[in-house]
Amino acid sequence: MTHRAPRDFPAEVVENLRLDGKTTALVLRCPGVASTAEPGQFVMLRAGTGNDPFLGRPLAVADLSGDRFTVLCRTVGRGTELLSSTPAGAELTVRGPVGTGFWSARRGVPLPKTVHLVGGGVGMAPLLFALRRLDGTAVGRVILGVAGQGWEGLTRWAGERIPSLDLYSQDGTLGRRGLALDGLPEGLPDEEEIWACGPEGMLRALTKRYPGDLGRIRVALESRMACGMGGCLGCVLPTTSGNRRVCSDGPVFTAEEVLWDDRSA
Amino acid sequence: MTGRPDLMASTVGGLPLSSPVVIASGVWPYDPALWTADRLEGVGALSTKAVSLAPRAGNLGTRVWETPCGMLNSIGLQNGGVRDFMERGLPVAESAGRPFLVNVVMESEGEVSECLAILGGQRERIPAVELNVSCPNVDGDGMAWGMTARSTAKAVAVARRSWDGPLWVKLTPQAPDLAGAARAAEAEGADAVVCGNTWLAMAMDLQKRRPAFQRVVAGLSGPAVFPLALRTVWEVCGAVSIPVIGCGGVASWEDAAAMLLAGASAVEVGSALFTDFDLPRKIADGLMKYTAAAGIESLSGLVGLGRKNHEGGERR
Ligand SMILES: Cc1cc2nc3c(=O)[nH]c(=O)nc-3n(C[C@H](O)[C@H](O)[C@H](O)COP(=O)(O)OP(=O)(O)OC[C@H]3O[C@@H](n4cnc5c(N)ncnc54)[C@H](O)[C@@H]3O)c2cc1C
Ligand SMILES: Cc1cc2nc3c(=O)[nH]c(=O)nc-3n(C[C@H](O)[C@H](O)[C@H](O)COP(=O)(O)O)c2cc1C
Ligand code: FES
Repeated sequence: MTHRAPRDFPAEVVENLRLDGKTTALVLRCPGVASTAEPGQFVMLRAGTGNDPFLGRPLAVADLSGDRFTVLCRTVGRGTELLSSTPAGAELTVRGPVGTGFWSARRGVPLPKTVHLVGGGVGMAPLLFALRRLDGTAVGRVILGVAGQGWEGLTRWAGERIPSLDLYSQDGTLGRRGLALDGLPEGLPDEEEIWACGPEGMLRALTKRYPGDLGRIRVALESRMACGMGGCLGCVLPTTSGNRRVCSDGPVFTAEEVLWDDRSA
Repeated sequence: MTGRPDLMASTVGGLPLSSPVVIASGVWPYDPALWTADRLEGVGALSTKAVSLAPRAGNLGTRVWETPCGMLNSIGLQNGGVRDFMERGLPVAESAGRPFLVNVVMESEGEVSECLAILGGQRERIPAVELNVSCPNVDGDGMAWGMTARSTAKAVAVARRSWDGPLWVKLTPQAPDLAGAARAAEAEGADAVVCGNTWLAMAMDLQKRRPAFQRVVAGLSGPAVFPLALRTVWEVCGAVSIPVIGCGGVASWEDAAAMLLAGASAVEVGSALFTDFDLPRKIADGLMKYTAAAGIESLSGLVGLGRKNHEGGERR
């Protein structure tokens, strides 16, 4: 597949499902994104067409079917609040699909024999999509770690879709008490990979856990973004091959290429 | 499109523009998929990302920050240097089949001369240069070159000696006497002035309880700065007779029309492209309808009309 630059589309909110106090699933009708998005790619979403809030909010594609795709939006500030309170029938503006995902990142590289998926909180979103598309690759562990109380909806949503989900919560109220990484195997055999998305702390801990296997750990990263098209260089990440753009060279990178110590926390 | 696209055409500062909408420097990637006719509808020309003599890694830490109706950036002119531009950027820029400007960082006199000489070595491939004088004069007092008329004159004189093609000079709105800086650029041979760059500002990160940017200050752009930019365009248009390109916060055809009425011959659009790829076409379309509805013959009839009406005392 040749590279496609993202485009802007109007997208109708088909469903707005409040999963829990802070997590909302938005199902959007947008053939332009739904027909081409790959796991790990994301969209820049804007509520309305006004100038405030000015920038789009990056949200991962969590699922797609037909002319629709789904995002899972955790409310953390004004933009996500506006997006998650957009009712069914209303229109949002979408720029997408953006980025190099788990698949396209591996263009030409055979998929591993087995992949383990680890999500922290709403970082589970792109992994849910990846799981649906993994074909011919065995799925090892699928793990979701959350803080605990306040995450009932997201964990239920994920559990309904992944019967084998290993659930961990720090306060012990959901699934087993502990951290997502507790569910991972001791060592990582050569033909296996780990794909992860979640809080920076979780990803850093992952790199400490498998220091010799970083080339087989793929992480979907976050960064503040303005353009979502590779133009502004606002989202760059220090890597072994210089500054790279999280929005277009990523968001999926191997843990090996990321210069974790130069990355501001 | 409705109207007469040919009426949108003009030559501005030595550059033939099919539309008065220019993509501002620093926002458009060298992604071949975005330099196609289909993705550049309504775009008259594009300015490249900053090009310096040597590669620059850019700034560390947070680089962009949203503000009410706008954003701050502290990218730090990240670029691969002029040689990398010649090898990898230029072929992409050429592929669009429309004019572009190479945005050149005004570094030291020696550096900018060498950079322009390298560009000049392929003069026939490079339609124009846009000199960014918002950068510190490391040979002098460390203030941005564009801060005074005198240092602007020096910068433009150096550039003019090393580059004989169309030269646009992109002024900094931080200059206390912007009209003076613009006159200096004109006197030293600039073919046009771009008015202007981002506005120095800052943000505080309440979570980290410290300034959001490592360099503390950053450049404000987007609709928030439009009224400020319009005022500077009005002032500068009253001071020079070379074309002025209005830049800062343009996010609609109405903004572009206001810039033209104030005397700008074209506009540059930057941050607003982050929210709408289709904006240049919408601006070109809107301007066409606006001029047609007002019975104005062509775009040039709009340029400076607001001044004429003001000075002519036509009050209603
Ligand atoms: C590639 C990518 C994929 C993402 N996927 C999801 C997802 O599927 N579900 C989800 O709930 N969240 C996701 N996020 C995080 C989400 O983008 C932020 O929570 C959101 O931008 C916050 O906006 P706000 O206005 O609510 O918060 P505010 O803090 O008010 O936002 C202010 C500014 O900071 C930016 N910002 C704040 N936090 C972040 C952050 N963590 N990452 C990037 N920019 C930030 C905002 O975009 C905005 O420009 C993703 C981030 C990235 C980079
Ligand atoms: C992310 C970003 C990067 C920029 N980089 C450059 C640059 O390299 N050189 C330059 O002359 N101006 C640069 N600018 C300034 C813009 O070209 C423009 O002058 C300014 O943003 C005001 O216009 P706007 O409000 O339409 O964005 C940059 C602006 C932004 C937002
Ligand atoms: S957000 Fe602009 S380059 Fe990534």
